Amino acid sequence: MTPTTPAPAPAASRGAAVWREVTHHGLFWPLLALVLLILACGAASPGFLDVTVRDGHLFGQIVDLLRNSATPLLLALGMCLVIATGGIDLSVGAVMAIALAVSLTYLDNAADPRAVPTVLTAIVLGLAVGALGGAFNGAMVAGLGIQPFIATMILMVAGRGIAMLITKGQITTVTSPPFKTIGSGFFLGVPTPVVIAIAAFVIVVVVVRRTALGMFLESIGINREASRLAGVRARRTTWTVYVIAGVLAALAGLVYGAPTMAADANNIGLMKELDAIMVVVLGGTKLDGGRFYLGGLLVGAMLLSTLERAVIIFQLPSQTTPLFKALVLIAVCVAASPTLRAMLRGRRRADREDTPAAPVETTNAAEVTA
Amino acid sequence: MSTEEMVRTHGAPPTVVTRARRALSSLDRRFLPVLGTLLTLALMLGIGQQRYSTDRVDFVSMKLLSNLLVDNSYLLVLAVGMTFVILTGGIDLSVGAVVALVGLSIAEMFTAGLPLPVVLVVAVLIGTSCGLLIGVMVQVFDIQPFIASLAVMFLARGLANVISVNSLKIDDEGFSALAAWGLKFGEGRQLWRINASMLIAMAVLLIAFLVLHYTRFGRSVYGLGAGDGGAAVNLMGLRPARTRVWVYVISGTCAGIAGVLFALYTKSGFNLTGVGMELDAIAAVVIGGTLLSGGVGFVLGTGAGVLVYGLIQVLIAREGLESWWTRVFIGVVLLAFVILQRVLAVRRH
Repeated sequence: MTPTTPAPAPAASRGAAVWREVTHHGLFWPLLALVLLILACGAASPGFLDVTVRDGHLFGQIVDLLRNSATPLLLALGMCLVIATGGIDLSVGAVMAIALAVSLTYLDNAADPRAVPTVLTAIVLGLAVGALGGAFNGAMVAGLGIQPFIATMILMVAGRGIAMLITKGQITTVTSPPFKTIGSGFFLGVPTPVVIAIAAFVIVVVVVRRTALGMFLESIGINREASRLAGVRARRTTWTVYVIAGVLAALAGLVYGAPTMAADANNIGLMKELDAIMVVVLGGTKLDGGRFYLGGLLVGAMLLSTLERAVIIFQLPSQTTPLFKALVLIAVCVAASPTLRAMLRGRRRADREDTPAAPVETTNAAEVTA
Repeated sequence: MSTEEMVRTHGAPPTVVTRARRALSSLDRRFLPVLGTLLTLALMLGIGQQRYSTDRVDFVSMKLLSNLLVDNSYLLVLAVGMTFVILTGGIDLSVGAVVALVGLSIAEMFTAGLPLPVVLVVAVLIGTSCGLLIGVMVQVFDIQPFIASLAVMFLARGLANVISVNSLKIDDEGFSALAAWGLKFGEGRQLWRINASMLIAMAVLLIAFLVLHYTRFGRSVYGLGAGDGGAAVNLMGLRPARTRVWVYVISGTCAGIAGVLFALYTKSGFNLTGVGMELDAIAAVVIGGTLLSGGVGFVLGTGAGVLVYGLIQVLIAREGLESWWTRVFIGVVLLAFVILQRVLAVRRH
């Protein structure tokens, strides 16, 4: 399957060619869905798009949306890098729980949980634990060469048990205003989670796109062996990426848990790995590895939290959210699939049973050359 | 007597070690992961026998086996379906959510007054259609199995939430009778039993075994996992596309059956049922010696994997440890098996 090269078009159909290019962009469908969803929410709830300033802080439903996007964005950021190397990290939810459990347990045992140095130590401890989890995943994937899916599943399964061990099976609650700030405070009028998520995003974008790291990641995702032969330190790079994903997951855990200050090891970050993967997919990155769009994550994270919000605005029971997540996910995936495009063009692909299967590998290679 | 045997008999008498090594090397490599599973099983049973046997009751008994099967029959069915998918190199994350959806649907259908046979058939068909949806997405639209089954997981969980967010009691007479049916053997502490769930689970395991090892379809399943995207299967004149859809239909149907078994077990439906159950099923398959990359594994190994899984929980309960230790131990066992798989894979190359 070669990438779609439009036949030499007469001038009249240049518009059509541009249109095709636009609709073929990975972000077209998610962005369209996001805009439509925001407009629909705006129509259903008149004050939806209003932003007010109270006490120098920004308030409004859109601001809340941004705040809710922070956690999935942080998780998806790490996930996207991992996926770029052809991997997956299922342990992020468990790492969130472990990091929060460690931070809050430390605060709980500290002499003065309100002291800023104590809080900083707690945060650093939480992040360090995330790095440790990531290092474990990296050792399994890069060191032992185990499939990322199963390697990270081990921490996913065991992680929640470990978090329970740390909190001794209790829900640890602490009072510490400085710690709480990272989840519910404001910085220059903007909610802190948003500031943290954007800062992390900018740092990752700069590191990945201004250095050769991004290219290394993509080359590893396309062909690990070839990139190793070309001089990319595939093993070390892969390892680094899992550590970054672990730290970002830990950060997401702290930001997510800070407003309530309760380390509920059973529920913090439950199914969040799936949200993160969904954000990455919605953002136009394919799970095959090799190519990734960090910019798409912003759209994906916004789409996810707008969807969650829309369910409430349209007065549907909030438990139905997964249903709509599923419908959006299916719609985006099917819309982006080459098969559907071929069908729409009327060139129905010949029955695959007759053609020597044009499966994932072949598709991959074709995309790489694109 | 062949010359080889002549040489052997005339040589120095083989020591136990060399004999064992020879037996091991004559063994098909494919059996090694399953051998690890059986050794683990034996080890755990040994530890249990050592620590928890009393003068009057042995730990290793028919009672233990029947309890393991009764408590894990739904997991066995799930894992059997998952084995088909994993053998093709795919994955099905939706099964836990499907179990929840099926349980609530059963409760709702009885409330609506449908007769028992209709309810059971529709319940299984709900699972089948979820599997079909994944299969179509994977085969026709080229969506990775991981993401396709993830979408269906969200879908099933969402639908379950739409039906009810409260636990619904299932109090149909026929259904209760089915749940209560059983044959009892032995007396007092030696008592063990056979019930409907167990028989269904064993039947599913047996059918899966026959299908995988004695049919064209079974060969196609193994062929798809070879890692060439089905090219070999195609060249053999088998049907890769159809097979790829079918394995998800089978997995979905198994999830439907498991949903019924779980409903029989708990006599209720609840929307939070089966969170993480898909991982339990995957873990059982992996522990049972099936390679996640596909192509290698045995469904009977999966059966052993489920027993290991159940035994971990029994040992932890007997040890008086908190239940979250289960997660940690399952992680450790999973880790050990994955590393074992890896070592074997390296040897093979």
